[in-house]
Amino acid sequence: MSKKAAKAEVGAVGKAAWLAIMRSMMLARLAEERLVRLYHQGKIFGGVYTGIGQEAIGAATTAACGEHDLFTPCIRNMTVHLGRGECVLNVFRQYLGRATGPTRGRDGNVHYGNMKNGVYAMISHLGAMLPVLVGGVMARRRRGMDTVGIAYIGDGATSTGDFHEAVNFAAVNDVPVIFLIENNKYAYSTPNSDQFRCKRLADRAAGYGIEGVCADGNDAVGLHLLTRELVAGLRAKPRAMLMECDTLRMRGHGEHDDASYVPRELVEEYAKRDPIRAAWERLMKEGVVPREALDQLERACREEVDRAYHQALNEPPPDPATLLDGVYADA
Amino acid sequence: MPEITYLEGIRLGLQRLMRERPEVVLYGEDVGAFGGAFKVTLGLQEEFGKDRVFDTPISESAILGSAVGMATQGLRPVVELQFVDFGMTAVHHLLNNAATTHYRTGIPVPMTVRAPCGGGFGGGPFHSEELESLFCLMPGLKVVYPAFPSDARGLIYSSVMDPNPVVFLENKYLYRHVKEIVPQSFEPVPLGAARVCRAGRDAVVLTYGAMVHEALRAAEQLASDGGYEVMVVDLRTLKPYDADTVLTAVAATNRVLIAHEGWRTNGFGAELSALVADRAFHLLDAPVRRVAAPDVPVPFAPELENAYRPNADKIATALLELMEY
Ligand SMILES: Cc1ncc(C[n+]2csc(CCOP(=O)(O)OP(=O)(O)O)c2C)c(N)n1
Repeated sequence: MSKKAAKAEVGAVGKAAWLAIMRSMMLARLAEERLVRLYHQGKIFGGVYTGIGQEAIGAATTAACGEHDLFTPCIRNMTVHLGRGECVLNVFRQYLGRATGPTRGRDGNVHYGNMKNGVYAMISHLGAMLPVLVGGVMARRRRGMDTVGIAYIGDGATSTGDFHEAVNFAAVNDVPVIFLIENNKYAYSTPNSDQFRCKRLADRAAGYGIEGVCADGNDAVGLHLLTRELVAGLRAKPRAMLMECDTLRMRGHGEHDDASYVPRELVEEYAKRDPIRAAWERLMKEGVVPREALDQLERACREEVDRAYHQALNEPPPDPATLLDGVYADA
Repeated sequence: MPEITYLEGIRLGLQRLMRERPEVVLYGEDVGAFGGAFKVTLGLQEEFGKDRVFDTPISESAILGSAVGMATQGLRPVVELQFVDFGMTAVHHLLNNAATTHYRTGIPVPMTVRAPCGGGFGGGPFHSEELESLFCLMPGLKVVYPAFPSDARGLIYSSVMDPNPVVFLENKYLYRHVKEIVPQSFEPVPLGAARVCRAGRDAVVLTYGAMVHEALRAAEQLASDGGYEVMVVDLRTLKPYDADTVLTAVAATNRVLIAHEGWRTNGFGAELSALVADRAFHLLDAPVRRVAAPDVPVPFAPELENAYRPNADKIATALLELMEY
């Protein structure tokens, strides 16, 4: 695409949509930075796993989808939750294990979802949400909805059996799902070179008889434009596809991990390509969103995160008397 | 009134469900036009179309995982594992996905996993397993195991209509070996209710699946040989199980034998035995006995499998010992 055409396209998406994407990214960054501090202050029960540096992917792709679409986010995907309308308050409730939170203290940290937003709550088992999403999309489509799904997954999780089974299952049944691989180059401490032999993970698409595309996972603007196109294509002609997004995990696997196994030059390279700053600069440069609007947005996000944390802190923990409730759904 | 096999009972239950409930879909390996490895689903694709009854790749994880996805979006998937043994490649979807979803998120998961189990026909180690106690370990699952055609029909109906994930165990030996004359129309059989299928006052056999029939034969034998009246209780649902019926039976007989086809250590009999020890110790005239498979892989050769698998003779021998205690 020529520079001019790209600029026209960015303009056509409109200020409100770009601000929404910026908001998801900023809220997630600020909320996760807060969670990181709380963890190191010993104020969080359990671990903290962030998507710092990877915010563009969830924010840009969810914003390209519609009301009835379905999503299975992974560890690094707070912007999928926020992009689909989850409130930061629920995020803090979840991390603090509050009775009021999305899993009411039955599950912690990243294991939450909200079906009102079409977002499944992940289980820990890597790859295990992929067939769930495929089934969910099949069911919604059977019920007459024009649903498309996006399954987010790390580079490491592409080595699971579930990945293979789900991609093949979706391919065979022409289920419109984008298997979106966030290649952040490390799975915990394991680098790509010890994880797979293909050059690019998107190349695996050929083996399933589906299309595979690569994208810059730190470029929210480009990613959003691309995803709009892909989602429209999948709606027009339902089929599965792979999408590999290049990015880097900017913190440890979790906050307990100093990630000393990641070469410093690599971190420095990606620090220069911070997704929030990159999008901010591009949107200002192209004249779609004025600086004041972005400044104002950032202030509002800071206040929202602050408010949400303090409110969650003051909410009640679950009552031990409810321990046995809800194992079964009532007939 | 028609005479039906156990296998036909399951099929009739599924057929009625699919006629009444458009949200029921059925899939698995070879279940479509072929009718499944055991022909349980024969004719269903023809009647309900490929849209509702379809074949899948050989992908147990994709089958069980997608069923969780469907069940949380308004469908009632019924999936078939070709053999319960092969479900073990994907058991994390039952334990971690299906079974935890309602507790964690409040979203019901009305899915049913049909799983052919059991041996007695030379299936060897990988086509004969009895894994009910594995499923019974998982909080959030229900586990159902019919022994009669009428129960197979009525229990599959209730399993599919239940808002929870249900593992519906089907005994392969019983598929074509048991027949029953039944009325054309039927009432669903409620989950969680055991059934006394033979009355008696001298001892009770607590059992389920194929061993119900072996226990009934053993009871006959004891009645004609020794004049003992042995009660037989078919549990029908293993989780949640019917402790009331079990305890009432213990109170009425004071001697307890537990019989199941699967392995002894940590088998379901251990749970029943603990229940009786805990709640009915004062009612016992003899220690609780178990007839179960020894802790070895299911052997292939008939000589070995006969030695391995519990049957009426082994149950009768144990019952006599129990009576003579
Ligand atoms: C089946 C399974 N095995 C192991 C783990 C432990 N584990 C959690 S995250 C992780 C690394 C994941 O790497 P990747 O898929 O690349 O995602 P990333 O963390 O880089 O986002 C591992 C090994 C797990 N959760 N599930």
